[in-house]
Amino acid sequence: MSFYECLKAYPEGSASASRLALTAKRLGYRGLIICNQEPSKVFRPEAADRIKGISLTIGAEIKATNTRALRGRIMALRGSYPFLAVQGVTEETVRAACEDPNVDLLLHPCDGRRPFTIASARAAKLNRVAIGFDLSPLMRLRGSSRARWLEATKRNLKLARKFDLALVITANARSHLDLRAPRDLLALAEVAGFDPGEAAAALQLPGKLVELNRKKWLGPGVELL
Amino acid sequence: MRSRLPVLRTRRRYLAFALEAEGEIQPKELMGEIHSSQFSLFGDAGAAKNRLKLISFDGRFGLLRCHHIYIQDTRAILASICSINGIRVALRTKGVFGTIKSATEKYIPQLGKISAENDGRRIELEEVSGWIIRTHGLEVDLCPDDRNKTKGSDTRYLGLTSFDLCGGHEDADGTPDGL
Repeated sequence: MSFYECLKAYPEGSASASRLALTAKRLGYRGLIICNQEPSKVFRPEAADRIKGISLTIGAEIKATNTRALRGRIMALRGSYPFLAVQGVTEETVRAACEDPNVDLLLHPCDGRRPFTIASARAAKLNRVAIGFDLSPLMRLRGSSRARWLEATKRNLKLARKFDLALVITANARSHLDLRAPRDLLALAEVAGFDPGEAAAALQLPGKLVELNRKKWLGPGVELL
Repeated sequence: MRSRLPVLRTRRRYLAFALEAEGEIQPKELMGEIHSSQFSLFGDAGAAKNRLKLISFDGRFGLLRCHHIYIQDTRAILASICSINGIRVALRTKGVFGTIKSATEKYIPQLGKISAENDGRRIELEEVSGWIIRTHGLEVDLCPDDRNKTKGSDTRYLGLTSFDLCGGHEDADGTPDGL
């Protein structure tokens, strides 16, 4: 199965693109998508091309506190990178990301104070924005904070299922030690409330999105061959 | 209570795992962290249903016994461990087996100890500079001069490969890893 993982490479993480590729290949991933906030500054992405058997894609992650900055960043990065992820910071940016068809993935912060709203879910469905669940709090947190995160995740998942949204799971790794094997990640997702089939599809979706974005589209449903 | 009838015994599975860490980890510390992770994730009631036992651990590869129904839960327990006594680790499940013999034969390779000692070589590049801590095949762990380089990811060392450091097998300089 072609599992893909979205992660951060040096200088925003602490492992180079080639080290991440080497570890991910050993763990059984088909490809990696590097989602740095400044993708042009990734440390030696060409070194990762020498590692065979794994495809490495440079995408971009956008983190903005207001909608204007978010839209500007989306317009600036869309043309150059085949994968755009948005880190939802405030309720307004989450809504703005859901309303923009140029966004591929929205990583929603699963906390109790900023729940995923019905209006955002409806907009995400309309604009085909996938909802990403970052499973790293399940590894990093312990005790009551993790219980809160699990509760918020279950609530968001329920809403995503109701609106039949595309789901993505990621460990949002910042180093090779944060990477988990696909089966381990699926086991973690099951703890977080995902169905086994749903979780497997969620781990494959980023690869499909990159493949679709790499094609040249003249308009909706019209491809330039 | 242990039953003498084989059909009444609990069915067991053995999980072979590999540990990747920035320092040396003792089996006792590892088991303490596995138990802590299990209690935190599934509680006492969950731990009673799935009794875990560390069969063997040689510093890098280990074997963990679990109940045959709770294999996915055990995977989740191992995957949710990210540090032991402040040392960053990653536990990777290699496979699940019915007997210790088959697991040992197939999945536990020869011992390769993790040591965190200075290799004595230095890397000076525009983007990164520091001392090499250890090399393993293509992998290179680097201790950066600027500690802020690993900020945010909680790791001590930078994970690089010999390809990043303009080395690799093609332009090797005579050293085994060609850096």
